[in-house]
Order: sequence, then structure tokens, then C-alpha cells
Amino acid sequence: MTEQKNCDLERREFLSRLSKAGIAVAGCGVASYLLYDPKGPTPGIEAEDLMTLPDFSVPQKDGQTISIVQGPDRVKTVDKAIELLGGIERFVKLGDIVAIKPNVAFASPPMLGATAHPQLVAEVVRLCYTAGAKHVIVTDNPINDPASCFTLSGVGKTATQAGAEVVLPKDHLFKHTTLTGGKLIKSWPIFYEPFGKADKLIGIAPLKHHHRAGASMTMKNWYGLLGGRRNVFHQDINTIIAELAMMVKPTLVILDATFVMMTNGPTGGSVSDLKRADTLIASTDCVAADSYGCSLLNLKVLDLPYLAKAEKAGAGTTSYETLKPVFATV
Amino acid sequence: MGLVPGRTRRLESVVSICILAILFLIGLGVFLKQSDYDMSRFGIDTAGIELSSQQSGLIREKKPDLVSLGPAGFKTLSEAEIYNPENLYEKINGKAPLYLESGFVELFTQRFVNSNDDNLWMELFVYDMATIRNAFSVYSVQKRADVELLPSMQFAYKTSNGLYFVHGKYYIELVGSSESAELLGVMGQVADKISSTLPADKETKIDELALFPEEDLVLGSTKLYLASAFGFEGLTDTFIARYKFGDEIITAFLSKKGSDAEAITIFGNYYKFLLDNGGKELPTTNPKIKFVDFYGTLEIVAVAGPFVFGIHEAENPQLAAKVQKRLINKLLELTETPQK
Repeated sequence: MTEQKNCDLERREFLSRLSKAGIAVAGCGVASYLLYDPKGPTPGIEAEDLMTLPDFSVPQKDGQTISIVQGPDRVKTVDKAIELLGGIERFVKLGDIVAIKPNVAFASPPMLGATAHPQLVAEVVRLCYTAGAKHVIVTDNPINDPASCFTLSGVGKTATQAGAEVVLPKDHLFKHTTLTGGKLIKSWPIFYEPFGKADKLIGIAPLKHHHRAGASMTMKNWYGLLGGRRNVFHQDINTIIAELAMMVKPTLVILDATFVMMTNGPTGGSVSDLKRADTLIASTDCVAADSYGCSLLNLKVLDLPYLAKAEKAGAGTTSYETLKPVFATV
Repeated sequence: MGLVPGRTRRLESVVSICILAILFLIGLGVFLKQSDYDMSRFGIDTAGIELSSQQSGLIREKKPDLVSLGPAGFKTLSEAEIYNPENLYEKINGKAPLYLESGFVELFTQRFVNSNDDNLWMELFVYDMATIRNAFSVYSVQKRADVELLPSMQFAYKTSNGLYFVHGKYYIELVGSSESAELLGVMGQVADKISSTLPADKETKIDELALFPEEDLVLGSTKLYLASAFGFEGLTDTFIARYKFGDEIITAFLSKKGSDAEAITIFGNYYKFLLDNGGKELPTTNPKIKFVDFYGTLEIVAVAGPFVFGIHEAENPQLAAKVQKRLINKLLELTETPQK
């Protein structure tokens, strides 16, 4: 009698536990279904997805690699500097799409010299159209709010008035790249799209003191192509600038030293930081342009280790004198 | 049967609870680990994935309330911005290390534009530097040459387009879009408003500045290097001041250490640093003062109590000695260590 009773209890309990277990399994199933991520973690960047910037350079011409023009008027000095290198037609052909990369890193007024001067950018846009460019893009990836930078620096307005398309950075315009032989630029996002579709690339940079790098000139200007948390590169500023010079092969660079920011760079903040030098340099060799430019900051080539690094990597020469620079005054 | 039903149920319950507890702990562990695992182990570059949309330092939070500092006839040009040590570089890029190495806490900025003239605008930068010493340091090392000092404030000057000053723990810049007298006048109003309304700090003065003799001192020439003064790592918290004699300038320096013993150590190390870097020892009879010929300039380094002080790169030895003597006399008022 007692054994029979125990058997009945175990059977009932078995069914009860079976039901509970079934509910538990069903609950787990529902929870798993809700939490399931069909995409999985974001995959690493595959080698085939990496992009490389085109080579925008033009064939070298002896004695027409670097020009140095003195004068107070940026429009006149840039016209002359480009003329001395063979004219804008050497750099821009009929139907070309030209990307212009001015330094528009800060939302500050043009008077402070922290950004490329709007008149200079507009004149280069005009020259490109004169040579038959199909389309001119003016773009930069400022670390500060891009719209504010282009508005307050005046570059957005003058470039648009000159007929250029101003492109602000958006997430979908970035692609990852790896610099062959690079130490820092590995699977790193760069502001690719506006440049990827261009035939020619012109860099325009003001000459500035830079608290970290010593000087900010045409090579440092390419820093604006980097996306991501690019400030990590400040720990190895000389290497990253040299790698940028290796990564970007521009058609032409323009270094504006009409006013030079001698102190408190790269932001400045006062006209007292500026010194009038009335000089503008145009070159197909970034390293050469910067090697001459640093002298206007009272620096030597050896004071800026990134120059030697870039030269060693084959990005250009620090011995700009060997390129037979052409001098002029307007 | 051998098993007692009641005991069996209790045993099963205990085992079940233990198993469930273990499963719960495993689940918890997986959850915690998953929320903080190193994606780079799987070849995923997390830094690289972050794009510019995450770069903006714009935050709607405003503290202190800079909008209320807006002058009459001006309106806000953009939203207030706030930056911390993690994203300061987004605002000032390569100049960020200068602030970060000087105790930077937060930066608040706000632009104001003239209601009738869009070209007339200014940006207010309020750097919270934690202490007045830090604020004075970033103020002084960036101070422009040939500026107009503003005597109404302790540390303040203006240029043709900006106004720069220290308010307690804050270093403040007002940067104008043009060299406009109207804009400078308005900046003065904003500065006054800040001085009277923005709570600053308990500390309002820096004691060491009073240790520099006033005679021939170039007004506003004092600077504070928090680290590595004159390229020597051990010379921290170092004040410098310039003295002018006709066309000649003499630079004096002074650093107060935590104890007399520490001061003696720094004194010895800095002297060695000068010799190691090409300096030549000059004769002296006092063990607490050293003279070094440093590539044609005179370096004097001395110690008195907790102070390491001296003259840096003087071209005129007589004037250097004159300033050094004045500095010693000033310090003698505070210490008992005899110096000659």
C-alpha cells in the first residue's frame, strides 16, 4: 500500500518536473532567438577592401619643381609661382576632376592664419577651371566641427563662389587603407571618396608653428585625410607626417607664408602670433617645399625629424637647392 | 527501497540549485567578459572603425553658463562646446599636449556674433586648469610679445584682436574675428562679467612671484614652467622673470622644492646636467652656488633652503651677478641659509 502510494507520487512529480523543464527549455529558446545577432561581430578589414589613394603626381621637369615668390598679394604670388613651374596647364588638363585640400582644421577667422586663406583657395579654383577642369572639389576633414570650420575660415564661401564643390566629411566617404612599408597607417580609415574620384590633387597650407610637430606645412596638411581617433598619432608625430608624405603623391602643393604663425601654433589665437613674410612656395615636392618653409620659422631641416624620415622614404628631397628653385617677386 | 522520498527531494533540490547557481555565474562571467573584450584579438581594429561622426565635441551641456556672459548687442553664433582631456585635441589639435601636461580638466567654449554684423564675432575659451598655478602656467608660456597688459586684473593682456587672462583656476581667451576696437571693448565687458560672476578658486595668488626683486623687472615677464625648464627634466615648477638693462635682458629663475634636501639634490643634478651638455665649470668658493660657462653665456645655479634659483644664459656676467645678488637678498628675507 505504501509502495503503491510512493509510485503514484513519483509519477505525478515526474510529469510536473517534465513540464517545468519544457517551459525552461522553451524560455531559453525564446531568449536565444531574441538575443541572436545574425550579423555577428564586425569583421576585420579584408585586404581586398583596403583602398589606396591614386598617384596624382605629374612628370618632373628639371628646374620646374619648386618656385618661391615674394609679394604681399596672395593672388599674384600664387599665379606667378604656378606660372614659373610651367603654368597651370602643366598640372590640370581638359576634363580633369581636381581635388583641392586646403588646411581648414579650425573654426577660426582667416586673419589668424590657422587655416588656408580663402582668397588663395578661390584663386587656385579659378586657375583650375581656366585650364579646363571639369569639376573642382574643395575638401578637408577638420577635427573640429567641419561646417563651422569651412564657414568661419571663409574657405567654404569663397570656394563655392569660385565654382568649386565643397565636400564635408561624412562617414560613408571614408575607406580603410594600409600604407605599404608603413608603421602607423595600417588598416586605418582615410577620407577617401573625394580624392578617389579625382584626377589631380592640390594641397594648400599656411605656414605655422606647431606645438607638437615643430611646424605645420604641406606634409602636415595631409593629416586632414586621416579619420578615426587620429590624435593617437601625436605620440609619434614625426613618423605619421613622414608616412602621410609617402601615402599622398600630390600634383602640386602650395605653402602660403604671406603671414607666418611664429608662435602658439597650430591654433594661434592672436595676430600677435603672426609675422609678415610675404612669401609663397609652390612645388611638386612636399619635402622640398617644407624644407624651404621651415627656414621662415627660423628652423633648420634637422629641427624637424619628419623631413629626414620622408626623404629617406623617397617622398622628396630636403636639399631643395638641388632642384634649382625659381625665385621671383611680384 | 533504500532511498527515503523526502530526503531524495531535498538532495535533488540542493544539487539543482547548485547547478543553476554555477550556470548563472558562468552566464554572468560571459556577459561581463563580452562587454569588455579585446576586439583586436580577432583582427578587428576598433580605433579604425570609429569615424568622424564620433569626433564631434559638441555637447549641449553648458557649465559654466557661458551663454549668460554674452554681451549686449551680441547673440550666440553656435552651440556651447565642452571638451575633456579625452577629446581636447578635437578643438585645439596639436596644442592639446600643452594643456594636458599642465593639469587640464575641461574646456568650455562659446561664440558670440554681433547682431547687426555677421563679420564681427568672437569666441570665448574657458580652460579649467584645476589650480591657479596651472592656469598661470599655460597663460604665461603662451603670452605674446609686445602686448598691452591690463592692470585691472592680476594676469591679463590684450592684443589687437584678443584678450587673455587668468581667473582663479581658469585660463580664459577671448579671440576676435578682426582687429576691431568695438570687439575689444565688448571683450572687456565679458571679462568683467566673468571676473564678477564666475566662481573661481580659493587660491588667488602665487607666492613665488613675490620672490622676484621688482627693480628692473620687465612687467608681465614672469612665466611658470611646470616641467622640464631649460630642457632639464628635474627642474619642475620653475618660475622665470626677465630683467632689462638698456638693451640687455637677464633671465632669472627660481623653483621651490618640497624640502631643503630635495633642493640640494636638484641643484646638484642641474649643475651636472649643464656640465654634461657642454658647460664648463667656473671657479667658485661657495659650494651652494655654481657658475658655468655655457657656450659663451653664463649660467648661475644656487640653492638656499628649499629654493633652487639662478640666472639662465646671461650674455653679460656683471648684470647677471647683479640680478643674482638681488635675488639672493630677497630670498634671504625668507631663509637663514647664508649666500654670497
